[in-house]
Amino acid sequence: MDGQEQLMLVMNDITKRFPGIVANDHVSFALRKGEIHTLLGENGAGKSTLMNVLDGIYYPDEGEIFIEGKRVNLRSPLDSMKHGIGMIHQHFMLVDSLSVIENVILGLESQGFFVDKRAIAHQIEAIATRYNFRVDPYARIWQLSVGEQQRVEIIKTLFRGARILILDEPTAVLTPQESEELFGILREMKSEGKSIIFISHKLNEVMSVSDRVTVLRKGRLIGTVDTAAVTEGELAKMMIGRDVLFRLERKKAELGPEVLKVEDALAYNDRGLIAVNKLNITVHAGEIVGIAGVAGNGQVELAECITGLRRLAGGHVALKGVDVTNASPCTLASAGVNYIPADRLGVGLVPNLSTIENAMLRNYRKEPISKGAFISYAAACTYTDGLIKKYDIAVPLQNAPVKVLSGGNMQKLLLAREIGERPKLLIAEHPTRGLDVGATEFVRSMLLEQRNNGVAILLISEDLDEILMVADRVAVMYEGRIVGIVDVDSVDVAQIGLMMAGSTAAVQS
Amino acid sequence: MLRFEKRDKTPIQLRLLVPAVSVLLGLLVGSVVMLFARVNPLKAYGAIVKGAFGSGYTFSETLVIAVPLILISAGLCLVYRMKFLNIGAKGQYIIGAICGSYLALFGPATLSRPLLLTLMMVLGMIGGALWAIIPALLKVYWNVNEVIATLLLNYIASYILWYFMYGTWGTRGFPLSKNFAVNAQLPRILPAPSRLHIGLFFALAAAVVIWVIIRKTRFGYEAMVIGENERAARYAGINVVKTVIIAAAISGGLDGLAGIAHTSAVLRLLQLEINSDYGYTAIIVAWLAGLDPLVAVGVSVLLAALEAGGYQIQIVMRVPFGIVGVIESAILFCLLAGEIVTHYHIRLTRRVAA
Amino acid sequence: MNPTFGSILIKVLAGALQSSTILLFPTLGEVLTERSGVLNLGLEGLMLIGAFFGFLGAMKTGNPYVGLLIGMAAAAAAAAILAFICVTLRGNQTVTGLALTIFGTGLTGFYGDRWVSQRLATAIKPMAIPGLSRIPVLGPILFSQDLIVYAGYILVALFWFLLFKTKAGVHLRAVGDNAKAADAMGINVVGTRYFWTILGGALAGAGGAYITCGIHPYWLNGITSGRGWIAVALVVFAMWNPLNAFLGSFLFGSIEALQLQLQAGGTYINSALLSMLPYLTTFAVIIVATVIVRVRHVGTPKELGIPYAREER
Repeated sequence: MDGQEQLMLVMNDITKRFPGIVANDHVSFALRKGEIHTLLGENGAGKSTLMNVLDGIYYPDEGEIFIEGKRVNLRSPLDSMKHGIGMIHQHFMLVDSLSVIENVILGLESQGFFVDKRAIAHQIEAIATRYNFRVDPYARIWQLSVGEQQRVEIIKTLFRGARILILDEPTAVLTPQESEELFGILREMKSEGKSIIFISHKLNEVMSVSDRVTVLRKGRLIGTVDTAAVTEGELAKMMIGRDVLFRLERKKAELGPEVLKVEDALAYNDRGLIAVNKLNITVHAGEIVGIAGVAGNGQVELAECITGLRRLAGGHVALKGVDVTNASPCTLASAGVNYIPADRLGVGLVPNLSTIENAMLRNYRKEPISKGAFISYAAACTYTDGLIKKYDIAVPLQNAPVKVLSGGNMQKLLLAREIGERPKLLIAEHPTRGLDVGATEFVRSMLLEQRNNGVAILLISEDLDEILMVADRVAVMYEGRIVGIVDVDSVDVAQIGLMMAGSTAAVQS
Repeated sequence: MLRFEKRDKTPIQLRLLVPAVSVLLGLLVGSVVMLFARVNPLKAYGAIVKGAFGSGYTFSETLVIAVPLILISAGLCLVYRMKFLNIGAKGQYIIGAICGSYLALFGPATLSRPLLLTLMMVLGMIGGALWAIIPALLKVYWNVNEVIATLLLNYIASYILWYFMYGTWGTRGFPLSKNFAVNAQLPRILPAPSRLHIGLFFALAAAVVIWVIIRKTRFGYEAMVIGENERAARYAGINVVKTVIIAAAISGGLDGLAGIAHTSAVLRLLQLEINSDYGYTAIIVAWLAGLDPLVAVGVSVLLAALEAGGYQIQIVMRVPFGIVGVIESAILFCLLAGEIVTHYHIRLTRRVAA
Repeated sequence: MNPTFGSILIKVLAGALQSSTILLFPTLGEVLTERSGVLNLGLEGLMLIGAFFGFLGAMKTGNPYVGLLIGMAAAAAAAAILAFICVTLRGNQTVTGLALTIFGTGLTGFYGDRWVSQRLATAIKPMAIPGLSRIPVLGPILFSQDLIVYAGYILVALFWFLLFKTKAGVHLRAVGDNAKAADAMGINVVGTRYFWTILGGALAGAGGAYITCGIHPYWLNGITSGRGWIAVALVVFAMWNPLNAFLGSFLFGSIEALQLQLQAGGTYINSALLSMLPYLTTFAVIIVATVIVRVRHVGTPKELGIPYAREER
């Protein structure tokens, strides 16, 4: 073990409680100078909480933090910044309407009252050059790609003289190639003596980029190990507490008739820019078509077009040969189109309404819940009970708002409601995002079960591994188009990665 | 340092305690304001209670005020649950009164009383509904802020009334219409001098019907889903445009009914001052009642008592009526401030020394 | 051009500038308040509080400028109630604003009752700026006004500069657009929102007090007659930009001045319809402005009306 003076940061016995749960239970963590240290754990293991404690967003109930051997008290992100800690959140802390310059100087006391844009632009460019990337200091954030926004975040922390960088699942929004570039930047920083904490649950990344790994599970510390001394399998076991299946049982798809046919679809996003651009795709009964792609390439808009939530400006959508272009969501739902939206609490569920009121959301118009103009809440209750039992959803109180359920149980409820309707076509958008391993396995096996029952499924996911695991065909979406579509058995991951980045070479080959 | 922690559910005692404490604090604020003007609050409150409940007559006058409050607040409970913040009850009340009065003043004299009165009430409701549909259409199609739109429509409605009263509807240059014919007067139900009228039954019926709509019908469920999460409502296949417009029309219709019923039964003529500010008081009623139309009946009587008592102390003690607004707004402030304890546990934590 | 018509036009426009100043202050204040993410719908109440306490202060001290300051202070205190309920306690901003209007109307109606129709001995008087006021046409319109109108010019420029060219402006916009990001960068979200809400309140008070200490130096219940609501609407028209706030206020000041001129001139147009004109125009303008804002995606603070809670999960 190294002496205290070699350590950049020590967190001792940190405990943080939230109503009903202990998010961090006496967790200790040590970071050396000039290392990349991964914090590994499932969703809900307490990684983000621990890092938010370090960033001053949460204040721990117990425990101490030392930076370079000195005890510190971090009450706010500002305190942490002053101690050289910079955090890059999973959801970027950038103000969309402001320029890169304005975002970089946000909150800085060292800057004068007036903003000297030119001087700051020079400094931003200097930092970017040092790490071999480029960014336009005068651009507004909403004009930048997600990868560029991440670099602005990195510049922001470096501009503040951060010596400890925390990156919360930074690769979740990047293509494999962009991830590699990010790792290059991180290695460069490490060689300059900066310490980096890298939060992840993707084992292959962890193995390739980090020096040491600390594993958390259910709020507790499991251990810290040198990356060189462990295998992926061992880390997975530490993370989950049991051996994991890396592949699901899957039989060959039995293709039925064509269910969904999208022809030359054209649609605009909320900003009025083209989001879906002359897109074509078909899905047959009994198959899962996975749509891979970096977030923001029109996937959400495509799903909305098919479910009637967004107007098509051109092209056609047909369901079992019947034209349903711009049909209402109501018509489509009764025609058997069901939808698991990515934004569970924003679109799929109504957070303040009860489990019953949420369970009946899609079929309150049908008997027996509907009785003419009236609603039978008794029937709705029976129906909800049925779903809860069949899909094993943990609901403390059926009349309590649905927002108190855990993420996994919310998703189960949503899934149960959508497939309980016996769909012909199911559109699943990021169905496992933010779920723990158990719930993820459940959702994926439900999707496969539906497929085996002859449902046509369109699976939209950022997680390429997930698509490769459950889909029969993989379509890659880039700037509103399908740039390539391949059978899952003959897939070349590197090529898909290139397609996700819009490389035309990959498409042509 | 104050810290808030989310509650999973709200204990029922708290839901009752917050409005009760709010009313008490509202009265306390009113006392302080009165003390600054050297008015004895105890005497004033005594006079208010006496003025509102002191005799059978005064209580019936309180109920006269409660009728429009019940009608308006019932509709507001529905639209507020849908998060359509209709602040335009005042304007809808005025337009309802104008439309109904048109028939009373210029309608064919041959109509029988029940038919004439029915037509007046229906016309009042249609007028109020149309006045509420304008901002609803603007909201659903162009996303125009309904608070600002309904408020401006209140002023516009006031000037429309002005236009008629100083124009062809006034008599001898005064902004008063001629008295309604007996056939156009909504019947009163108690012996004179009480002015309590059968609008009371309309109001109670409206409260029950709206309660049933909210609690038992598909329409009520749809309105609630729209209010809580409009995107989820669209996703569930709810016709948001249709639902919002119908609900706004119901609310506006009840406001118009309140206007014409009050004008026809209580005032028996049209004038500039037709108590349209009940449209604002009813907002406080709806909020204080937790958007439950049956609870709103009780709250309406309470605030009607405050208003009736307020008129009394203005006449008897020369205490300006503005005090009623101070008390009502203070109650509303406390209620809004108190809402946080129904959503969060509040903890007082000590700052740890750095 | 007909000289008499020209002189009338100059008179109308000079009057328009005064009327527009009443609207300019609350509109400017609300632009900044809303930029910080707080929707203050209580402007009408705050203007009344400013008008009454300004009048009372001027009456007691004999100095209309001191009165104006007292009116501003009273309105700022009332706005602090809204800040406490909406920022600290995360209450519903729409209803709180409405309550504030009822409060302002009731309070000034209660205390103002015995002052109704009493006049100030000395009101704020015009002070022509030497030199500038002699410029033909523009001089009498722009530079023969009182100090408050001049203060309005300065504030427009100052707030525009502050909002778009200084660090304080960057912070203000960040808090209204993405409070979480601002908080993460160490900006005091709660403090910023309090500051601009209270300052916005003081400016609304100034608008109200300018009526009673300057233009109409007497007290009447409800003397602001809905101008607070027009100011709320003008903020949308201004697309949250101080320069446009000036344009919008001037447009409405002109309509009001024109309307008064027509009424005084005894035209055949009905006075009720003329009085309705400003509200009707506002109503039309808010519709057009909303549509433009939606198409062009400008201005609207993204988190307007949304309370911020740091430790929520």
